[in-house]
Amino acid sequence: MAPRSDSQNLATGSAMSETSGESSIDPIFHILRIVPFSFLRPPRLRLKLPSFTLPSPMTVFSLILLTYFLVISGFVYDVIVEPPGIGSAQDPITGAIRPVVFMSGRVNGQYIIEGLSSGFMFVLGGIGIIMLDLALDKNRAKSVKASYATAGISSIVIGYVMSMLFIRIKIPGYLQ
Amino acid sequence: MGGKAESGNASPKSESMAAKKASPDLLNSLSFKSLKLKTKQQELLIRVSILGLVYVLAFIARLFSVLRYESMIHEFDPYFNYRTTLFLTEKGFYEFWNWFDSESWYPLGRIIGGTLYPGLMVTAALIYWTLRFLRFFVHIREVCVLTAPFFASNTTLVAYFFGKEIWDTGAGLVAAVLIAICPGYISRSVAGSYDNEAVAIFALLLTFYLFVKAVNTGSLAWALGSAFGYFYMVSAWGGYVFIINLVPLYVLVLLITGRYSMRLYIAYNCMYILGMLLAMQIRFVGFQHVQSGEHMGAMGVFLLMQVFYFLDWVKYQLNDTKLFQTFLRITVTSAILVGGIALGVGTASGYISPWTGRFYSLLDPTYAKDHIPIIASVSEHQPTAWSSFMFDYHILLFLFPAGLYFCFKRLSDATIFIVMYGLTSLYFAGVMVRLILVATPAVCLISAIAVSATLKNLTSLLRTKQKVPQTGSTKGAGSSKVSSKVSLDQSQPFQKNGAIALLLGAFYLLSRYAIHCTWVTSEAYSSPSIVLAARGAHGNRIIFDDYREAYYWLRQNTPTDAKVMSWWDYGYQITAMGNRTVIVDNNTWNNTHIATVGRAMSSYEDEAYDIMRSLDVNYVLVVFGGVTGYSSDDINKFLWMVRIGGGVFPVIKEPDYLVNGEFRVDKGASPKMLNCLMYKLCYYRFGELVTEYGKPPGYDRARGVEIGNKDIKLEHLEEAYTTSNWIVRIYRVKPPTNRL
Repeated sequence: MAPRSDSQNLATGSAMSETSGESSIDPIFHILRIVPFSFLRPPRLRLKLPSFTLPSPMTVFSLILLTYFLVISGFVYDVIVEPPGIGSAQDPITGAIRPVVFMSGRVNGQYIIEGLSSGFMFVLGGIGIIMLDLALDKNRAKSVKASYATAGISSIVIGYVMSMLFIRIKIPGYLQ
Repeated sequence: MGGKAESGNASPKSESMAAKKASPDLLNSLSFKSLKLKTKQQELLIRVSILGLVYVLAFIARLFSVLRYESMIHEFDPYFNYRTTLFLTEKGFYEFWNWFDSESWYPLGRIIGGTLYPGLMVTAALIYWTLRFLRFFVHIREVCVLTAPFFASNTTLVAYFFGKEIWDTGAGLVAAVLIAICPGYISRSVAGSYDNEAVAIFALLLTFYLFVKAVNTGSLAWALGSAFGYFYMVSAWGGYVFIINLVPLYVLVLLITGRYSMRLYIAYNCMYILGMLLAMQIRFVGFQHVQSGEHMGAMGVFLLMQVFYFLDWVKYQLNDTKLFQTFLRITVTSAILVGGIALGVGTASGYISPWTGRFYSLLDPTYAKDHIPIIASVSEHQPTAWSSFMFDYHILLFLFPAGLYFCFKRLSDATIFIVMYGLTSLYFAGVMVRLILVATPAVCLISAIAVSATLKNLTSLLRTKQKVPQTGSTKGAGSSKVSSKVSLDQSQPFQKNGAIALLLGAFYLLSRYAIHCTWVTSEAYSSPSIVLAARGAHGNRIIFDDYREAYYWLRQNTPTDAKVMSWWDYGYQITAMGNRTVIVDNNTWNNTHIATVGRAMSSYEDEAYDIMRSLDVNYVLVVFGGVTGYSSDDINKFLWMVRIGGGVFPVIKEPDYLVNGEFRVDKGASPKMLNCLMYKLCYYRFGELVTEYGKPPGYDRARGVEIGNKDIKLEHLEEAYTTSNWIVRIYRVKPPTNRL
């Protein structure tokens, strides 16, 4: 039974309701049956349309974590401003070139490596909290839970301490 | 519950006690025993008191600059908003709505009524009129200064309700606390920062909350509320484009993940149609919702929703799967085809305008650097480095991924929304420093989810009851398997100690967050920018009030129809405080006019004089930081004047002013630099001044060099006023000499 159609079916103009099956009323189908395909023989292929399945939430989450790491490390800043990977300063007395890891002098400036390492520390802290939650999950063995808990706590502690260290080096007057 | 039984016992007990003992005991017993509340009432009391304290905290955390300096408006843009609010309260709404201002952008003028977002001004005026109605006769400036902290407090309440909607009341409370002191929000909403973002963030969060509530309940009333919230947002800030793109994107994600429902249909349709109609009431927005490329996503998703609804109805009518599959394929193809053709025709014919530069540079961050120097020159538009994130968020950067994890564990319509809001706004915050403000509510909410979920886990560990052998119910996170109950007994005190230690650790982290936020607010975000402060030699504080000194000099010592030429940064302040006509101001709507001023500043004095005569300029104002070491002066901004001027007038070439690609002002500087108008005006008579002990006269403290050209003679201008610390210098343009 043909549905009561509104405005949606006006555009194509060719196919009406039944395009599948032998008793088709599609004129283009009949034309195609006669003109090339009466003397051309289509090969038998075993192709299937790729089916689109949604990825699981945790897969999406891991991709998002990667993107978060890039954004937090100042990736866009790196692409646009193009700072050097690591800065350099000349020692005034000996004249040797020393590498400088943290760009000093302003809050909104960075070298590439300092951005990536700070971003890594933030993500490490985040993963630590996630591991703590996994440690409190009921359906695991006790030893696994204990190791998750230890790993989680150490990740959080290391991530926090290193981030504080980095920000103290970067901004000399921090918390004064 | 214990509370119930005890309150039941309390009343006959208190009566019997009262009958036996004297009156002080009666008073005591009545007051203590009858105050024994049920648990629900206790919880309500705790929640209300926490919210009240957070409300007060959000307000007072923003008052640093009012206490240190005085109650004044900060920065540049707020001065324009203040001037328009003053006009609104004095002349009324119709004059304000139809205002043509001839005092800025001489000789073009500016249609203020049609080129501003009136939400902020109308809000402040309404508060002002309400207070006057209640017979509190405050000055409008006080209302303007305190509007931002007031709305920040309201935002914490909305954050609480939003958190309650997404997760639970615990997360709502934590979200309110986090957003009350988060430096990312405080930076644009201190007392005195009377800018659009002050009310816009409140409107943004309110719109999102009402929309999520509408999607969760499917109620038409909430959808209507979200449409009005969107209207408030459109009236308040140009950033409403974020809402009109995020909400359709969210709807699209819900459709893809198979969460189409009648609630979503009602919520989105109502909000989109009514919101669009209401948004067209703002003259500045006009018909952009049907004409601009940035708003087409919303329309496309609207049509897609109609297709979904139609397909759903047809499926219900058909009862035949195969037929329906065919019909589905045809309809989807034809809908996409029709939509694509319509979009193509609209764009090709020019009816649908392409994305404007400001928003296009968010999608392609390299665009502004190459094509639009005015956008690239604003320091707030630079991309974000990691330290800006750390400065503005601190602990929330750790809690954000954890919160995302919890949201993904418990996916629902509301958590999908907050995840999308958080991710898109964080990406945009990475592209432009200024947009950290838009990301702040999302980051606070998601972090609150992480905090609440973790604390819930830890406290449930603490609350596992000692009586373990109950085959049915086991509360808490201990294992529920019978076999491990013995080991549970032995490890329980260890678990409890561990949980207590972790709770203490969590409280330590949150207290460090509070300390960081207070320090950042106090040191970095509470400076008025118009008043500068520095530490003197003995550690005492020195205040430089040169800007206001210069503006008041202009106000009192120049003729009322005088026109002042300066770089566009100072336009709003000159018009608001100096009350004089300016050539260009912060609105930056006319690039050619700004380029003309830039060309005048970077030309030799004779050419600049011709340009100034053509613009009827009477006074020139420059900002110079060489004496005080102030680094945001016009010499440091000079290269942007050259670039913007050179973008329109090819006679100005940037390499003329550089030496080996380097910008210098000392003896090795290029001759064009040493003789251009800006150089002469900044360094006039500076060569005789000794600025620092042990350095030669004419030592520029901001650049750290001795200037190259000390013997400056001005032919067509004369010095009118220099402020006490030489920060602002005003010159009078001399009329042409008589022909002989």
